[in-house]
Amino acid sequence: MSSRSLTVEPTGDAMIQGSPRQMRQSALPNAPSAAPAPRPIASAVIPKAMNGLAERTRGVTVWTLAALLVLFLAVPIGALLVRALGAGTGWDARTYDTLRQALGLSMATTALTMVVVIVSGTPLAYLLARRRFRGAAVVEALVDLPIVLPPAVAGIALLVAFGRNGLVGQWLAEGGVTLGFTTIAVVMAQVFVSAPFYVIAARAGFARVDRDVEAAAADLGASPGRVFRTVTLPLIAPSLIAGAVLAWARALGEFGATIMFAGNFPGVTQTMPLAIYARFGAGDMPAALLLSGVLLVASLAVLLGVRVVGARVREGF
Amino acid sequence: MNSRLVISLLAFVICVGLVPFGPTPVAAQRGAWDCSAQPTGGEAGKATPPSTSMPGGGFPRGGGELTVFAAASLSDAFEAIERDLEVANPDLSITYNFGGSQALVTQLEEGAEADVFASANVAQMAAATEAELIAGDAVPFVRNRLAIVTPANNPAGIESPADLGTDGILLVLAQPEVPAGRYARESVCKMGTDVETYGTGFTDRVAANVVSEEEDVRDVLTKVALGEADAGIVYVSDATTAADQVQVIDIPDEVNAVAAYPIAALAGGDEELASAFIAYLLSDEGQAHLASFGFETVE
Repeated sequence: MSSRSLTVEPTGDAMIQGSPRQMRQSALPNAPSAAPAPRPIASAVIPKAMNGLAERTRGVTVWTLAALLVLFLAVPIGALLVRALGAGTGWDARTYDTLRQALGLSMATTALTMVVVIVSGTPLAYLLARRRFRGAAVVEALVDLPIVLPPAVAGIALLVAFGRNGLVGQWLAEGGVTLGFTTIAVVMAQVFVSAPFYVIAARAGFARVDRDVEAAAADLGASPGRVFRTVTLPLIAPSLIAGAVLAWARALGEFGATIMFAGNFPGVTQTMPLAIYARFGAGDMPAALLLSGVLLVASLAVLLGVRVVGARVREGF
Repeated sequence: MNSRLVISLLAFVICVGLVPFGPTPVAAQRGAWDCSAQPTGGEAGKATPPSTSMPGGGFPRGGGELTVFAAASLSDAFEAIERDLEVANPDLSITYNFGGSQALVTQLEEGAEADVFASANVAQMAAATEAELIAGDAVPFVRNRLAIVTPANNPAGIESPADLGTDGILLVLAQPEVPAGRYARESVCKMGTDVETYGTGFTDRVAANVVSEEEDVRDVLTKVALGEADAGIVYVSDATTAADQVQVIDIPDEVNAVAAYPIAALAGGDEELASAFIAYLLSDEGQAHLASFGFETVE
């Protein structure tokens, strides 16, 4: 292992913040030219005097431990792909129908979930990052909580809140509205479990933005809306995208709360994870494998796509 | 520019999401029950005559570790039996894995290790036998039949099986591949042939009321007991265990489906221990125990 990897490189993160900001500043006349220079990194370099053998041993250990985890992650995914490819005979009309309905429902519900999460999560993240208000700590804890809650707890919580005998649900039921067994219930379950991932990432993004830059734009006569659009948003875009991807992934994988709160019916509440579980439970392993394989490939495609787009956003396009 | 990119990315995701959602043939899916399928109740081989009373079961070596894969509907009865057997045999330790019989067979096929398999229908036991998972022969050890359950306050006012066809009630069944789901559909199909009592198009009307297909029969019971669904079709034994949370509506014999539960020792398991457990279930004591949970005894 080379000594290079033991030194602290300027992180990609620093570059994310650095480059667009500097660009914007140079575009604005009279802007304070106080763009912070990259900090010297020499202080973080490990002294050269270190024993070469110990260094090598440590290197081997690091690589071995890392490889073990990669292997542990790769083996099940590889096995799934191999078995899914081998399950080609499971492609009957029934499996295709299940796939079409479940994938369609998963895409539609997660898209709707993302709209809800982004539209209401961005203002929430902004307030949490920028404003001091009474109860902010409580709200923050509340937002973090669904991340650590097991899905079963989320399912029960949704049931006792919005079920027909639930706190809110009984009022809705009196008005003739039943949420259980509807697609809306699926979206509710997804929003509940995924929103925190977006809000936390967005909050961190807002908190990192250099307020002086926004102030400078405002001094130059930009309206608050324009400052947000042209200064803040480009700076936090990577954070928002990263948060949105995490939230989307969590929503796509949502299972426990959905099956408990929304039930399981093809085309209405049976998303991909539920369809996979149902096929598995029905003893139809080939179909379960095929559906899993499709979900795996689709997720991979989205993650890669977002990476490519994210990199272009970071480069300022 | 960047914000426009983010927005267009979002719009793209939404559009892609909505395209396949289009007009899903939900209506076609609902009401498409195949009533011509052969009934699955059937006989589960010959019942061995219940052995003479064997208090606490005659476990070899005084016990050991026994793993039992059992249909979800057996969970309450089997857990009570476990408590009694473990008191009578301090060295015996029983571990259960309850689930839909189909799921259990899949797990066994994928290499799960167990000593006993108790299925809620003959078809799944046959599948297990075909996969050479079974040691020896399967024997029926208990019977069960179906009942309708509604929440305790019966919000939809269901009084008889014919009310299952009332437009707009929220009906929950086990999914068709699960024995309870299959029996329930068979039973409704039988009702459908009796136009005089149940009216025309009964099967389609009931099928259109199904709002959720649960993984196993216990999930059906839970959805009803919680009051989320208006009605569900479960086993009499399930209805018995939740008698304080649900109202039970009997299904007449002529349209009911009788489920025969077969049990067998599994290949590669501890066959001695497995046989002792099966023998206990077939003994007078075991049968009485099962009967107290709403099951019907064999013979």
